[in-house]
Amino acid sequence: MQFDSLTFLVFFATVLVGTNVLRAWDARKNFLLAASYAFYMGWNPPFVLLLIASTTFDWWIARRIAATPAGGTRKAWIAATLVANLLVLGYFKYSDFILANLAALLGKVGVAYRPPELGIVLPIGISFYTFHSLSYCLDVYRGRFAPTTNWRDYALYVAFFPQLVAGPIVRWTQMREQIETPRGTTAAGLGLGLTLLTLGLFEKTVLADGVFAPVADAAFDHAGEVGVVTAWSGTVAFTGQIFCDFAGYSTCALGTAVAFGFVLPVNFRNPYAALGFSDFWRRWHVSLSSWLRDYLYVALGGNRGGAWRTYRNLMLTMLIGGLWHGAAWTFVAWGGLHGLYLAGERFIRERFWREREADATLRALYGLVTLLAVMFAWIWFRARSFADGAAIARALVPHGSSVTTMPDFAQGLALACFTALVLTHALGRDLEPKAWFARLPAPLLGLLLAAMLVLIALSPGDTHAFIYFQF
Amino acid sequence: MRSSTSSSRRHWGLAWAIALAVAALALGWVERRWRERGYQPNVLDSAQLWSLQRQRVHGDSPRPLVLLGASRIQAAIDPPLLRELLPDRRPIMLAVSGRYPLAALRDLAADEDFHGDVICDIESNGFLREYRDLQQDYVDYFHRQWTPSWHLHRALLTEWQQAALIADPRFGIIETLRHALQGGKPYHDYVRLRPDRATEIDYALTDPEGAKRHFAATVEGNIAHLPRRTPDEWLADIAPVFVWARAIQARGGRVIFYESPLHGLQREVQERVYPRDAYWHRFAATSPAPVLSARDVPALMAFDLPDDSHLDRRDKAAFTHAFVQALHERGLLTSAPP
Repeated sequence: MQFDSLTFLVFFATVLVGTNVLRAWDARKNFLLAASYAFYMGWNPPFVLLLIASTTFDWWIARRIAATPAGGTRKAWIAATLVANLLVLGYFKYSDFILANLAALLGKVGVAYRPPELGIVLPIGISFYTFHSLSYCLDVYRGRFAPTTNWRDYALYVAFFPQLVAGPIVRWTQMREQIETPRGTTAAGLGLGLTLLTLGLFEKTVLADGVFAPVADAAFDHAGEVGVVTAWSGTVAFTGQIFCDFAGYSTCALGTAVAFGFVLPVNFRNPYAALGFSDFWRRWHVSLSSWLRDYLYVALGGNRGGAWRTYRNLMLTMLIGGLWHGAAWTFVAWGGLHGLYLAGERFIRERFWREREADATLRALYGLVTLLAVMFAWIWFRARSFADGAAIARALVPHGSSVTTMPDFAQGLALACFTALVLTHALGRDLEPKAWFARLPAPLLGLLLAAMLVLIALSPGDTHAFIYFQF
Repeated sequence: MRSSTSSSRRHWGLAWAIALAVAALALGWVERRWRERGYQPNVLDSAQLWSLQRQRVHGDSPRPLVLLGASRIQAAIDPPLLRELLPDRRPIMLAVSGRYPLAALRDLAADEDFHGDVICDIESNGFLREYRDLQQDYVDYFHRQWTPSWHLHRALLTEWQQAALIADPRFGIIETLRHALQGGKPYHDYVRLRPDRATEIDYALTDPEGAKRHFAATVEGNIAHLPRRTPDEWLADIAPVFVWARAIQARGGRVIFYESPLHGLQREVQERVYPRDAYWHRFAATSPAPVLSARDVPALMAFDLPDDSHLDRRDKAAFTHAFVQALHERGLLTSAPP
């Protein structure tokens, strides 16, 4: 079920009461695990069996890894979990993509091959819980911690419902103590949790779905016909939408977890105020970027093998990160653009930036360039094809009479809200919302919450799936 | 520690008390302002509301009676009254306004667990293969995305939409802002949708003559864009429909093809584009399922259709009675006449 559905309100209230009525910590954890599976079954009930099977397999294999001394057998166990997890992910997520590309490739050499229509339904959240499990097994393999012997605790780590379907991608080291130490709802936790939940729902329903999505859809659904105003407003709107949608989900996840006494890692830190691309990735989808850094970039050699190997590793990491988002070359292009940005930035920083870093004007310019480049990359993330992406990208450049059109009401509203969003990021660049909310005087906080609640209630419409659910 | 805990409790308690009180007052004020201007809450149709009805087609106690079609049957037939008149039937409204129903008929035919009856309201134009998939997105939603979780969401949302006018996007913040900046106001809805997906059209709230004038002004252009079929080609388009009807009947169900009444220019256009002898009569002669056209039932044609196409809500009960009577007179439903 979605955070912005009425079912979730009922579910949240029921599970909150149910968890706190139970006295024993074990009973609470059992209840939370059952609730998490029920939450997951809100989408496609049979896939809960895949989740349980995947969880059990990785829990068991991690124990085998830990019980095996370093050497070939230990490597075989970690290889087994990598292969099994990636095969399952690959089957559900990439089968159609691989077959379609195979057919295109064979077509180029004159072999006619029509791939079968597999009709595979993607289990929601599979990319996220697969990364949970992989990080756990890889860390056990690297000897960072001993695996838990308690299946229920491990299952709750993977399936804890606030973060199950779209992250944050939590590490076992971040959750172990929280799962093993009794906790429950406190007044402050509930107050803060509901506040974060309200903020997340505001971002999702008011901004992402209400303000930004219609403008982005209008541009990208008719990419071949857009003029400069529609292309720019569509790009700006999608830049706003993707943040408000995904950060909205993460904020809801953090809030829900806090209400139950759990703390999840912050996933977004005002990314549109980033100064540079490495700074952007320290602020955008932090749990994924740190995962890719720790388990992919470092595993590829990181920056240990000289400049060219570092550039290669950056590119590979971002290309794979792009592919993780979806089975389409446009996602790979998005990742590739960010790989190029990161490599280019590294090159420039090492040679030209250090002595100029303190210059405020240059820093502001750097921030603007970063934002524009990130926006350009979002075009390829959103476009349904390269042709659509190229059409939008071409239309960004003014030509002839296309600049004389004024933005319509929806576009104007999206541009105004996006400006406000970027200003908020810039002004609160290093602020943590949790600390800020806790410090705000109660009457002011109350009025702010009231404003968000009113705007949420006055933004009815179709319930849109969170964009990251498809990943 | 205690003082810090109680201070934190006070902080959050006060903030949320203020938030809820201010939000309730503000939303209440907005709701009242719209109601003072004569607006009323309305249920909004969606694939989810359709799915709530679609999932009721199974079981046999009482026997499902599925109503397919578009806005005409939604406005003309009253499901609760139909249930009273046919106590051994469970009426289920799956008609979708503005969309011909063949995708839903195909879906019911493919559903091996469906053993009920179907009244499929369709006109000659609706059989064209170009219009076969108009309800398919509803069908797809039901099969691919509908879950108990969405069931509860939609049930609660329907309650909210019935209770609060502000649940309608026309009165949302963005539309209000648009009207404030650009002028205009939300239109007054004269079509009310009920949770069972039947509609009630109140022509006292609108100008049906305006609707007729609009139809007259646009009809020739619309006709020019219609796909053209000779009677034989048209009958060939219908062949799969007969297969679907037979599939339902093979499971013990019954399909009745029904044509709603039309008046005035609407009727003239229908006759002109699809001459009855060349089209409808040939369809009726070859259909494996019974066919009932309102054109053959004087009692149904006698009702006033303010826009020449739809029934006013005040005539709905009488029309439902006449409709059931017509079915019984022709032996199309086996239960005892009312």
